[in-house]
Amino acid sequence: MIAFILRRLLSLIPLLLAVTLLVFALMALAPGDFLTPIKMQRDIPAGLVEQLQRDFGLDRPWYVQYAKWLGNVLHLDFGYSWSFKVPVADLIGQRLFSTFLLSFCSMLLAWCVAVPLGVLAAIYKDSIFDRVSSFLAYAALSVPEFFLALLAVYLAARTGWFPLGGATSIEHEFLSVGAQLLDRMHHLVLPVIVLGIGGVAGLMRVMRANFLDAIRADYVQTARAKGVPEGLVMFKHVLRNAINPLISSLGFAFSGLLSGSLVVEIVMNYPGLGNLIYQAFLREDQFVVLASILLSCVMLVIGNLIADLFLAWSDPRIRLENQDS
Amino acid sequence: MPSPILSRLSLFLACAFIAGCSRPLPAPPVGKVAPIPAGAEVTEQLPGKYGAMLVTSMPGDIATLNPLISEDQSSSSAIGRFLESLTTLDPENGEIIPRLAKSWEISPDGLNYTFHLREGVCWSDGEPFTADDVVFTWQSIYAKELDPATGQPVIDSETGKPKLRFATRPAYFHLIEGQEVSVAKVDDLTVRFTLPQLYAPFLLFGGGQDILPKHVLAPFVEDGTLLDQWSINTAINNPGQLVGLGAFLLESYRPGERMVFRRNPNYWRVDSAGQRLPYIERIVTSIVGDSAASNIAFARGLTDVESIQPDNVTWITRAADKFDFTIHDLGPSSSTSFVWFNLRNGSDADGKPFVAPHKLRWFQDIRFRQAVSYGVNREGIVQGVFGGRASPLHGYVSVKNAKWHNADTRRYAFDPTKARALLAEAGFTLHDGRLQDAEGHPVEFDLMTNNNNNLRTEMATVFAENMASLGIRVQLQFIDFNTLIRRTSESFNYEASLLGLGGGAPDPYASKDILMSGGRLHLWNPQQTEPATPWEARIDELMRSIGREFDETKRKAAFDEVQAIMAEQQPLIFLVTGNEYVGIRNRWQTVVPTPLGGITWNLDALWAELN
Repeated sequence: MIAFILRRLLSLIPLLLAVTLLVFALMALAPGDFLTPIKMQRDIPAGLVEQLQRDFGLDRPWYVQYAKWLGNVLHLDFGYSWSFKVPVADLIGQRLFSTFLLSFCSMLLAWCVAVPLGVLAAIYKDSIFDRVSSFLAYAALSVPEFFLALLAVYLAARTGWFPLGGATSIEHEFLSVGAQLLDRMHHLVLPVIVLGIGGVAGLMRVMRANFLDAIRADYVQTARAKGVPEGLVMFKHVLRNAINPLISSLGFAFSGLLSGSLVVEIVMNYPGLGNLIYQAFLREDQFVVLASILLSCVMLVIGNLIADLFLAWSDPRIRLENQDS
Repeated sequence: MPSPILSRLSLFLACAFIAGCSRPLPAPPVGKVAPIPAGAEVTEQLPGKYGAMLVTSMPGDIATLNPLISEDQSSSSAIGRFLESLTTLDPENGEIIPRLAKSWEISPDGLNYTFHLREGVCWSDGEPFTADDVVFTWQSIYAKELDPATGQPVIDSETGKPKLRFATRPAYFHLIEGQEVSVAKVDDLTVRFTLPQLYAPFLLFGGGQDILPKHVLAPFVEDGTLLDQWSINTAINNPGQLVGLGAFLLESYRPGERMVFRRNPNYWRVDSAGQRLPYIERIVTSIVGDSAASNIAFARGLTDVESIQPDNVTWITRAADKFDFTIHDLGPSSSTSFVWFNLRNGSDADGKPFVAPHKLRWFQDIRFRQAVSYGVNREGIVQGVFGGRASPLHGYVSVKNAKWHNADTRRYAFDPTKARALLAEAGFTLHDGRLQDAEGHPVEFDLMTNNNNNLRTEMATVFAENMASLGIRVQLQFIDFNTLIRRTSESFNYEASLLGLGGGAPDPYASKDILMSGGRLHLWNPQQTEPATPWEARIDELMRSIGREFDETKRKAAFDEVQAIMAEQQPLIFLVTGNEYVGIRNRWQTVVPTPLGGITWNLDALWAELN
């Protein structure tokens, strides 16, 4: 097991090298750089632009910049944000919690709603409930996230039931702890629903299909023939087997925990990592972009790893050690 | 089964959640409250009521609170709340008025400026404000990198000059023809600036420099981390370090969410009854995604004051009764929009001319540019693109800047007949509705503008239609802003472009980079070593005299001539300027909207009844 984990983590190194190299090359190919907008401002002396170019290393070829950046990253120095003038790690740290909270809540929502719905749809296959829930699931899957987010913003603007973006309200600092908690939740409702609805639909379809597969298995016949009560058959035998593939999807959900909410954050003006990264991309704030991409890659690999480990843990038939042999 | 893990996770989450929310407010960044300074500025303000809270919103987050490195609008406006300068512009008439300096003298030779500071003024933490702070600010800006071994300045191998310790905009901005201003303390309340040569706008540009607190920032000049100070990390963790002389202090900041400012109890302006300003206890500024979101927040009654975009005025007005606000029309703004042709001679490294020679001949012909200008229906753009909420722009200086605007320049009212006559005079002829030059080349050119600005792409479309009626075919290119800038300022590989420039300081010398032929923003032919045309040489000469001349009448006369040349030559064909609108809730008192200062210039005098 340890050897497996180590091998997976080692495979991160070439992956990260390739991805960051690609990003560096692409950013060098893209027209303009961080200093381009400054050049169009009045009273920016030409001398300052040249000086900043030298300070930022933008006057050197991109592969030299890349080598320098790589050297710093090996010392765990992810560089400075050019626009904020603070270390990138600080910047990301400030936004981490908000985004994590949003993604985690929407994941929770997706699981809590999708699993029961999927099971019910499978047990009552072809009933009216199954048909309606399938229709809604397909509808939810086909609506793009940004459109749903726009609808939510419109709803909030129209009715005033929910706040127009943000994570806390203006009076937040002056509220009691309990009220602060409620305030934060109130701001989370719409983004969580928008972000979670796609997950609900997808998970529910998978859950239904798995459950149907499991229902038809021989051991279910056996259990029923033995006279095991139907409820016990469904929830003790079928559910446990049907949920296995979903467990591995938990790992994949982990990989999207910090990067999956980008669109929702931008449209709904939620002060998280996605908003920060988007701004950094627009401004070509190089090191913030790179750090965010590093973070996503690491999360993806670790997510996959967790998925495999979960699977091995929940299904004794899978043995990771023998995977390659 | 994952349930125990899930429950543990959710428990952890709940703890983290509470921890994330209930971080106590940092203690107000206030030391001792000093008595009202002897030199306090007594305003004509009638006494108001203390204690109200002003709610505003801001499109885009701040990047820093360090005035030396701030580049964006959001950061600058936040910094303007807590820092002050020696002088400022009177938003009502554009004259220079005292701020931290209560008076000043200029020596007869025009090289020595002596500023007298207000007595008894204290920083927000209670420390006295003295000439040392002013000297410290300027010395930090000019500080040189020192060799640790020898203690001598390090020479920059690229430029051959001593290397700056902190490469900042002020360090370059406060150079006069490459030379520094020297600053000396005369006594605790007197500072003398000595200029290397005559420089008329010093009172505005030098006096407008934000003053930094020596007692807070001096150690960071020593250890070389001055530019890392007052970052957003400071704002989040330690707002008390942001010591200022402005009317407000930063109380808290949440990235991407909001800033809270609190009244500075040590402020140095008082009302006519001798009560200390400001009246507002707190300003809460929400950070929203863009100006559209900011406008929506105001229209829903969530904020107190807002600058409203021209195209939003109509629908926002409908909510005026419900949320009890008024929208003030401030008239034409100071931002501009214009079309220009590439007038650059020569060719690139591969020997390919920047502009095809026959096209360059048209563009360099004054009659062609004037004809294009006569052919633009500015009134049509005002109606069609801005819904009537804009004004035609006829010259380099907008009417908003009344002090410097020259109304007697050549005007280009929409007149296709005149345009055709000028084109005919220049040898162009019409064939089947298409214009041709004397050699039979059809007249057509590419016009580019940036694709993320709707107003510009719409203006470009109207412009192309106007040109079509003259028989000129305009191919529109809507491209990425960075690509556009690279083509106009580095590769010079373009024919015509449509852009706009923001206002900038109202002094004519603030335009030197645009108007002078060596300037970086001399868009039609930037960074020339020698003026390419006699009229550009004349503008250079006039601008140099504006830089040196102290007599306001002579400066005005020189700048009038610059505007007349620009109008005659049409290197920039101005289109329109959007009007400016500001909305404010009616509960606010002492609201004095001015074209130059908007509505929040007297934030320290605004007050409201408490409800």
